[in-house]
Amino acid sequence: MRNYENLVIVKPTFTAEEIQSSINTIEEIITSNGGEIAITDSMGMRKLAYPIDKNERGYYHIIYYSIAPSAISEIERRFRINEDLLRFVTIKYDTNREIIAWNKLVQKAEKKAAAPVKEEAPVAETPAVEEAPVTEAPVAETPVVEEAPVAQTPAVEKAAAE
Amino acid sequence: MAEKRKYKKRYCKYCESKVDFMDYKDVGALRFSLSERYKIMPRRLTGNCKRHQDMISSVIKRARAAALVPYTVTRKAVITAPFENLR
Repeated sequence: MRNYENLVIVKPTFTAEEIQSSINTIEEIITSNGGEIAITDSMGMRKLAYPIDKNERGYYHIIYYSIAPSAISEIERRFRINEDLLRFVTIKYDTNREIIAWNKLVQKAEKKAAAPVKEEAPVAETPAVEEAPVTEAPVAETPVVEEAPVAQTPAVEKAAAE
Repeated sequence: MAEKRKYKKRYCKYCESKVDFMDYKDVGALRFSLSERYKIMPRRLTGNCKRHQDMISSVIKRARAAALVPYTVTRKAVITAPFENLR
């Protein structure tokens, strides 16, 4: 068994139910080939960096799973046949360092999945803390830098209120 | 002899913050090693070490395949991009 991550982009022309059903079929492809899905993470509808088949947007969905390496070719073959998908990216997490990173990503996704149940303020806090070391390193332009203060302010206000 | 160094000594920002793994989905972090036309910046300009340059280049290529980062940017898009960043 080896750890993998699959990013799939579903066509934006679908309704929410159709997207959900196509994601279910994708997950079924993985489980039917003997894979164990650790967690899934939907990034939602996003603007693509460049048009794919004349589509400007796409629904991003990420699946973290572990599976025997021999089954990957079959999964990719099935993905290629599937016409609901604009694009898929399969990434292998093989070395020790990558496996640690995979576990971290799964935990992060779990947190994100658990977050909306709670209040909004702690949700805003957690990503800010995680992103902080990352933002310092690269000269990180707009998106991350902008997010950090925005995410922090409600937390600070809340602390002041308390 | 003893030619003066014209520029500040460059160092690897990723080494400094001890980056072991980069995630291709974190587009904001990739921006440092991309030019305004979304080309991968060379090591001589960013000061990245060989190890981290290899990591970042493979990660950027993954992000391009996943349509998170564009392969190329036309002249028109380059002009509009700075205003998006300011927002």
